[in-house]
Amino acid sequence: MLRQIKPRNARSKRALEKKAPKAVENPKTALFLRGTSASQIVQDALTDLYSLRQPLAKKFTKKNNIVPFEDPSSLEFFSEKNDTSLLVFGSSNKKRPHTLTFARTFNHKILDMLELHLDPESFRKLSQFKGRKFAVGLRPMLSFSGTVFESPVKNEYTMAKSLFIDLFKGDSSSDKIDVEGLQYIVAVTADEPVGENDKPAIHLRIYLLETKRSGQKLPRVELQEMGPRMDFRVGRMQEPDEALLKEAMKKPKSTEEKTKKNITTDSMGDKLGRIHLGRQDLGELQTRKMKGLKRNRDLEEEGEDSMVIDDDDAPKRRKN
Amino acid sequence: MAAPAIKPRTKLDVSVDKPTPYTFDLGLLLANDPNPITTSAIAPSTPASASSHEAQLAATARDAAQALINQLLTTCPLSSTQSGVLLTLPASTTALPREKPVPEAKPPTKWEQFAARKGIKPKTREQRRMKGQQYNEETRQWERTWGWDKGGKMRRREDGAVQHDWLVEVDEQKDQEDKRKKEKEARKKRRKA
Repeated sequence: MLRQIKPRNARSKRALEKKAPKAVENPKTALFLRGTSASQIVQDALTDLYSLRQPLAKKFTKKNNIVPFEDPSSLEFFSEKNDTSLLVFGSSNKKRPHTLTFARTFNHKILDMLELHLDPESFRKLSQFKGRKFAVGLRPMLSFSGTVFESPVKNEYTMAKSLFIDLFKGDSSSDKIDVEGLQYIVAVTADEPVGENDKPAIHLRIYLLETKRSGQKLPRVELQEMGPRMDFRVGRMQEPDEALLKEAMKKPKSTEEKTKKNITTDSMGDKLGRIHLGRQDLGELQTRKMKGLKRNRDLEEEGEDSMVIDDDDAPKRRKN
Repeated sequence: MAAPAIKPRTKLDVSVDKPTPYTFDLGLLLANDPNPITTSAIAPSTPASASSHEAQLAATARDAAQALINQLLTTCPLSSTQSGVLLTLPASTTALPREKPVPEAKPPTKWEQFAARKGIKPKTREQRRMKGQQYNEETRQWERTWGWDKGGKMRRREDGAVQHDWLVEVDEQKDQEDKRKKEKEARKKRRKA
C-alpha cells in the first residue's frame, strides 16, 4: 500500500495528505485510457469525453494491455497511482467493437464496471458540430429521460445513470452556482423497452442552452446541439460487491449540530423555547398558609373542644 | 422603445406539462423524466427518420432543461453579488458511492483518556480571560487575586486612599508578653558577655 509510506519531507507529506481518505471528499478524477486495439471512433470518443471532463481528468496516450472484465488489477493500479476513482477504458475488437468500459473504484479496488458499445454510424465528434462551445470547468445540468433509468431493481441502466452522474457532475463541492454558468445540459435518453429482453440504446446528447426572454419571470429555454453525439448499446456489467458497496455508501458523521427540539429562533434573532408542562392538578395547588387550616392540627385536636380553634382564629381576624 | 415593447407580448411558453412529473436533484442539477419515450419506432436508418429521431431527442432534452431551469429559479434562493447572480443549491439527495473509505477517528491520547476519566474539561474562553481575577462586592470591581495589583492595590494608591489598617487596637496582653521576652533575651546576652 502506498499510504503506509512515511513521508520524509513536507512536500511528500502534503501529497499524501491530499490522497488520504477524507470525511468530505475531493471531487473524483477520471482517467481515460485505451487498450491495445482501439478504433478511431473509440479514440475520438475518449478524447471528447476527456475534454468534457476537464479539469478533473487525466488521459493516457499509450496502449495498455488490459482486459477489464478478466483482470482489472492494472486498472486498480492506475487508479491508485493517479488517484483517479473513475476510469474510462476504450477498446475495440471483432466480438465487441467500439467499446467503452466505465469503471468506478472504491479504495482503489474496482467497485463496478459497465461496458457500453458505441454505435459507429451515429457517432459524431465534438469538433463536427459548429458553433460555440462551453467554457472549461462549468458544471453541466443533467437529465435522464426514460422509464428504464427509474427502475427500482438494479440493472445496466440504473448503473449507467449512476456512472454518468459521477462522470458529469463536476466539482459539486460548492453549493453556489452562477446563473451564467448554467450553459449546457447532458441529456441521456433511453427508449421504452419493447420486449422482455429488449435492451434499448442509451442516447447521450450534449446541448448548449439559449435562454430567451419570454415576457414572464422565467426565461424560455432553447437548445442547440454541441456534441459529441453518442449512442450506446449496453454490454456486460459487473455489479458492485455487496459489502464493498455498503462500505462505499457510508456517510461520515456530520459536523453539523443536530437541531434541538422545541428551541427556535425567531426573525429578530431571539431564542424561543417551548416547554411542555404536565397536567396541573388544582387540588394540590398551594394556597395561603394559615395556622388554622393545617390539616394535622385538625387531626390532633379533633378530640378536644372545637372552641379552642375558634379562639385561635379570632384574634387573627381582628388584626385584619 | 415602443416597437420592442410590443414584441414580447406574444408570450413564449415556459411551462412544461408531462403526464408524470419530473423529479429533481437540484444539488446535482439533475432532472429525471420518468415518462416513456419511443424515438426509434422507425429505425433511424434513413436520413429523414434519423433527423426526426434527433428532433425528438432534442425536444425531450429541451423540456427537461426548461423544467430544470424553472425549478432552479423558483425554488433556490438567489443572491446577486459583484461577480454575478448566484444560486444557492440544496444538498444533493442522490446517493453516490464514495471514492475512499470514511476516515477512522484517531485513538485518544494518554492525556485525553486521563482527562475523560477525571472529568477534566478544557477551560472556556471566559474562564481563561477571568483567570486570577475576583469580583469585589464592596467596591463592585474586578480585582486581581495576586501580583502587583493584588486586591486593586494600584487603584487605591492612585485614589490616594490611606492604608485600610491605619488604626489598630493594642493588644495589651500580647504587648506585655513581648516586653518580658525582650528583657529575658537581653539578660541572656549580658550573662554570656
